[in-house]
This record gives sequence, C-alpha cells and structure tokens, in this order.
Amino acid sequence: MATKIPFYLFLLCIVSLLQVFGLSHLTLFEVSPDAISVLLAFIAVTIGQRAGTSFGFAAGIITGLLSGNMGLAMLARTTEGFIAGFFNIPENSHATSKQKTKRMYSALLTASFLANAVFAAGYNPLGLTPLYRIIVLGLLESLLTLVLAFIANRWLMRKTFSD
Amino acid sequence: MRKFFNVFNRHNTWLLFALYCAISFLFIKLQNDDALSKAKNGGIEFTALITDKLLSYGYLLNLKQENDRLMQVNTDLLARVINLDAAVTDEKNIRKIVADSTVNASNFIMARVVSRRFSDRENILLIDAGWKKGVRKDMTVLTPQGLVGRVTTVSENYARVMPVIHTDFKVCVVSDTSSSLGVLAWSGGREFIAQMEHVPISSRLKVNEGVLTSDFSTFAVRGIPVGRVVRITPDKLFYTVDVRLAVDFASLSWVLVAPLKTEPEKAMMTSDNSTEIPLP
Repeated sequence: MATKIPFYLFLLCIVSLLQVFGLSHLTLFEVSPDAISVLLAFIAVTIGQRAGTSFGFAAGIITGLLSGNMGLAMLARTTEGFIAGFFNIPENSHATSKQKTKRMYSALLTASFLANAVFAAGYNPLGLTPLYRIIVLGLLESLLTLVLAFIANRWLMRKTFSD
Repeated sequence: MRKFFNVFNRHNTWLLFALYCAISFLFIKLQNDDALSKAKNGGIEFTALITDKLLSYGYLLNLKQENDRLMQVNTDLLARVINLDAAVTDEKNIRKIVADSTVNASNFIMARVVSRRFSDRENILLIDAGWKKGVRKDMTVLTPQGLVGRVTTVSENYARVMPVIHTDFKVCVVSDTSSSLGVLAWSGGREFIAQMEHVPISSRLKVNEGVLTSDFSTFAVRGIPVGRVVRITPDKLFYTVDVRLAVDFASLSWVLVAPLKTEPEKAMMTSDNSTEIPLP
C-alpha cells in the first residue's frame, strides 16, 4: 500500500490540474463533473478511510491554491475523503465486482454531495439560495460526477474492482 | 500513556479528520494573512498563466480558421473602403463639374466613364449613359476642362465615345486671341498633344494661345476649350501647330454630354448634294 502512495499523489496532482484547467470548464447549469471526487472516492474505497482523509486534505491544498479558496477547499475535500472512507472495501473482502463497483458509486455520490454542501455553506459566488445551491446543484454535480466515474470505471478502474 | 495511545490508535482516523478540519478552519480564519495571501496570489497567477498558455495553444490550433475569418473580415472591409473611396471621388467630380461656372450644365447629361481602351487596336471611351438618358449619336462629350470627344454609338444605357486622341477624330477649332482657324486632329504618339492643321502661314497664331471649338464644327457647340498652343513650326504653306490638350485623358472619370447641335439647314447647305431651299 505504501508503495502506491507516491503514485496516487502524482495522480492527484495530475487530476487536480485536469479538473481546474479542463473539466471545470465543462459546465451544465453552473455545475461541472468533479474528477478529484472520483479519485478520492476510489482511494478511500480501495485503500482506507485514513488515506482517503489525508488525500482529501492534500487535494484541498492543491485545488485551494489553484482556486484561491484554500481553507474551504481543504475542509470540503477532507470531508469528502473521510465520508468516502466509510465505504471502504477491506482487502480480504469476498464481495463481487458488481458489489464493489456499487459501493464505489455510493461512496462517490454521498461524499461528493456532502463535500458540495460544505463548500456551498461557506462559499456562494452566484448568490443562489442555499437550498437550491445545496440540494439541486449539489445533486446535479454529484450525478455528473457519477457519470464521470462510470466512464472512468469502464476504461480505467475495471481491473481494480474485478472479482 | 499507553491508554492514550490505544485510544489514539483506535480512533486515529477521526482524530486525523479533526486535525485536518482544525487546520482548514485555521486557514479559513487566516485567509487574509500576508503569507496565505501570497500563496493564494501565487496560485492564482499560476492558474492564470496555465489558462493563458492553454488558450494560446487553442488559438494556435484554431489559427487556420482564425486566419480565414480575418481574411473574410479584411475582404469585407476592403470592399467597403473601395466603395467609399469611389463614392467620395465620384462626389468630388460631380461637385467640380456642377460648381464650374464656365459650363452651363443644366442641359447636359452627366455620365461616368466606365471603360477606357487605349491601345493599338482600339481607342474608345464607354460612358454609362445611353439613349434612355437622352444621349444621341454625334453628341459632344466634354468636361469643364475641355473637349473630350463625340458620341459614336449609343445603346440603351451606354454610349461609345470617340475621344479627341483618336486618329479618325477631327474638329474645327479657332484660337482665342488671333482667331486663327484650323482643324484639330491627333496623329498618335503622346496622348496629351494634338495637331492643329490647315493653319495658313499668314495667320498671326502665337504660342500659348487657347484653342476652342469653332462654329464650323458639325457636331460641337462653339467655344469649348480644346487646349493651348505649345509649338508652332512653319512649313511651306501651313504651320504645323502642336496643341496641348486641355483634358487629361489619363484621369478622366466623369463627363458631360452636350445636347445635339440641330442645324439641319446649315448641314444641308454645306453638303455637296444640297438642293435650293425655297424662300418663305
């Protein structure tokens, strides 16, 4: 596991840059899919809650530095990694591939929604009502991220969640 | 102490989360701090730099389309500039013609020179006024500066003009000071010099005299300036007179077409097969 950490850190940097400079421009009703959430959920589900929390914190530092909203980004991402960690699949799990994938999607949806809620509570640049911002846009963003996770699962993570 | 470590080991994830949250809150609290502001500014600058680079690469990738678009814009603007320039020049020429007090332009037809061919095979002017506007064959074409030529062919909207600088063109002229008569013709060569023929050696024609159309002309009204005498060379019986033409054919753009000279009686009398007209 320890050998994977530098690789995941490197991947986190790449995905953060991809998110800030690429995916954040693909907006639909003011929201965009979040690749960092997918990676955090993946790390938290496959490695563990502690790793998920720490990687969330690191992701918060990177995205916070790039977006200029450091504290809130760190808090939201840390929460995201921590929440996703509750859906962790132990290494000796006998769960099927389908069950693992389902757990991954559940972790992503929950963590992404809550992280979005944390972020929305502290930062509302469009001046939207909190309910609309948290419920409607939060759900929409989580669903878009889920679509992204579905694509990532089809092309990148299939091997990890195999039986 | 061992108890504390046991608790810490058991709940380390929660404690870690709490620690990270505390740090995050600290960052939120100190977000206006100088050091944090510098870090934030650095991050924003980096983001802006990367975005700018990405945009410039995107611009490079779309350079061909951008070039095509700019070329189209340039073409449109060029067409507009050309149209506006032409309109300004036309307006200037019209004003110049109308403002000239020496020519009464009220009965004249104004026309624009739409084509001019000056070659060893053809030497004509084409004007954009035809019989629809009242232009008839043999009408005089002139500008305020002087005689241009005569109409030879007329269509509905256009007319061909034989200019003074055509070897078949001849017009009776008279000098303004000594009233010396002659026939103006052009024998080729320089397009601004014509020759005044049949000026007898006895005439008192001088250099620098103005030359006008005379009343003897069958098509041109009298008094139209033609040019100025620039050289007189005596021959056995006649002078060879060079006349610098008043009209600059190289920059001719607008002309006037004078009404037809209607003197059927005079034409009949001057023609060889004239019959005697009964006295009223």
